[in-house]
Amino acid sequence: MYCFFGVLIGTLVGVLPGLGPASAMAILLPATFKVEPVSSFIMLAGIYYGAMYGGSTTSILVNIPGEAASVVTCLDGHQMALKGRAGPALGMAAFSSFIAGTFAVIGLTLVGPPLAGMALKFGPPEYFSMMVVGILLLTYLSSGSMIKALIMAGFGLILSGVGMDTIGGEFRFTYGIRRLLDGIGIVPTVMGLFGISEVLMNLETEIRRDILTNRVKNLLPTLKDWADSIGSVIRGTILGFFLGIIPGGGAVIASFASYAIEKKVAKHPEEFGKGAIQGVAGPEAANNAAAGGAFIPLLTLGIPANPVVAVLLGALIIHGLQPGPMLLSKAPDVFWGTIVSMYIGNGMLLVLNLPLIPLWVQVLKVPYYLLYPLIILFCLVGSYSIENNSGDVVIMLVFGIVGYLMKKFRYEGAPLVLALVLGKMFETTLRQSLILSRGDFSIFVSRPISLAFLIVAVLLLITPIITQRKKLSTLEEQQEPN
Amino acid sequence: MGRADRISGIFWLLFSAFISIESYRLGLGNLHQPGPGFIFFWTAIAMGTLSIAVFIRTWFGKRTGEGPIFGKENILKIILVLLSLFLYAFFMEALGFIPITLLLFIFLLGMIEKRRWVFTIFVSVAVTGISYLVFEIWLKSQLPKGILGFLRI
Repeated sequence: MYCFFGVLIGTLVGVLPGLGPASAMAILLPATFKVEPVSSFIMLAGIYYGAMYGGSTTSILVNIPGEAASVVTCLDGHQMALKGRAGPALGMAAFSSFIAGTFAVIGLTLVGPPLAGMALKFGPPEYFSMMVVGILLLTYLSSGSMIKALIMAGFGLILSGVGMDTIGGEFRFTYGIRRLLDGIGIVPTVMGLFGISEVLMNLETEIRRDILTNRVKNLLPTLKDWADSIGSVIRGTILGFFLGIIPGGGAVIASFASYAIEKKVAKHPEEFGKGAIQGVAGPEAANNAAAGGAFIPLLTLGIPANPVVAVLLGALIIHGLQPGPMLLSKAPDVFWGTIVSMYIGNGMLLVLNLPLIPLWVQVLKVPYYLLYPLIILFCLVGSYSIENNSGDVVIMLVFGIVGYLMKKFRYEGAPLVLALVLGKMFETTLRQSLILSRGDFSIFVSRPISLAFLIVAVLLLITPIITQRKKLSTLEEQQEPN
Repeated sequence: MGRADRISGIFWLLFSAFISIESYRLGLGNLHQPGPGFIFFWTAIAMGTLSIAVFIRTWFGKRTGEGPIFGKENILKIILVLLSLFLYAFFMEALGFIPITLLLFIFLLGMIEKRRWVFTIFVSVAVTGISYLVFEIWLKSQLPKGILGFLRI
């Protein structure tokens, strides 16, 4: 039942532009306090992967992505819809999501327990180096400038320091503000950065929505559609799954990477952007596989791979459970319950999504002047309900302004949130490692797992510099003849 | 993004200077026993260096037609919406969820969106009532009672 509610709400959230899965989970988080941890986690997880399904509907029918991971689906999905093929586009999106989601759950079942066993051998240096890779990977894969993404990660790290120092007990950056003594909450920050800021952006430039008025028919893709897209689905699934596992990867990056690969390997790349079904199948498979893959680091290492999973981490902690390698032995019902619910949830989504498409189209017809006050109300209630404190509402609004300014000045929110989420653990593991080694930094390179992570981190930092140099030298070569 | 990057570069440089001073005050400790300001001091130094890079890059990048950073058309609307939300946050505990949500919706729909008053009042009452039922009664969120606390609903 909780799984059903989760996937249903998730699909609705995915359909509604401006309300992402992180905000929806945050709103419903307080409502789950009174139920069993397993049920609560199953519902919240359902919202996450349900949103991945729902997001494609708006992308295809309205050309507005319901959430960030469906941005790419707009490119070819909406073009297919304009050509009268909205049905097969929606159908393929649902089927590829189902295949990828199921694969990710099987992967989680197989990889989870051995990885949790391996993670028991991780000490503070390994955790620290892994988080360095996670944060750097997110900045490396960010769509804009890597320098700006690194600044955002630094900003997030500093924000994570607000409140009490977990080692020494001193209060930092609180300036006598009582609300800051407990630190800056992830949920109000995420709601502000992604929910409120999106509303503010949409208020500035009114959203134009051309909803397809003709009936959506023939949802089942043809045999030719399947033949064209099965390779894309497989590639998207594998790519998405692995990008989902890596901290900093996630559904948004997976969908963009899958689209780029599909365009590269396609026999007719010129058809991309004009309604190629591979452009829908690949990214949709990738974002769902990534959503499933992201549960692996959360459940086995206790590391949230992206901001949405960070809210799930918060939910587990609120219920008195510590995500990480011990979760499997201490709360096997949560671990296996989530996995079983994901199998059921994926099936439910396939059955639910296709017949409910006309209903989602009706939801999309709600005018924005009515929709945005409702989104604002959800955010206000959601941020207040976390601790029944209006201070959290103020924090959310402040981050709404910060998020709006970041969008204006082209800074991305994801590195900030990931660093805020990992910040406390990042600092603690660094300080613990240095205390362990008596101030010797070689502890990070003398342990093989930590060294391997750091090599990846250095590669991630160096690659953009090399490619930038190459770009500059080719530019100079081109300019020389003149 | 030349002008925008120059502005943001300067902002982050000042921010990192401020954080590095504050972190230094907190105490850097030493490598054997890092203090509470250790990691933030070095993060701020790195951020400062990166912000200088953002600033300097604007002189080398291609300069295409730079539009204004903020659109003038709806900026007043954004300010008014934000102002109403901050007022909501500051008075929600004193007034209570029902009156303040009603007022917020009347303001947003009637004043900002300029919808007809009958429609505005109908939607505001409906949304407030339904959201109270959903969040307070069904989802058991503890919304502030405020001035209607005596009703014990």
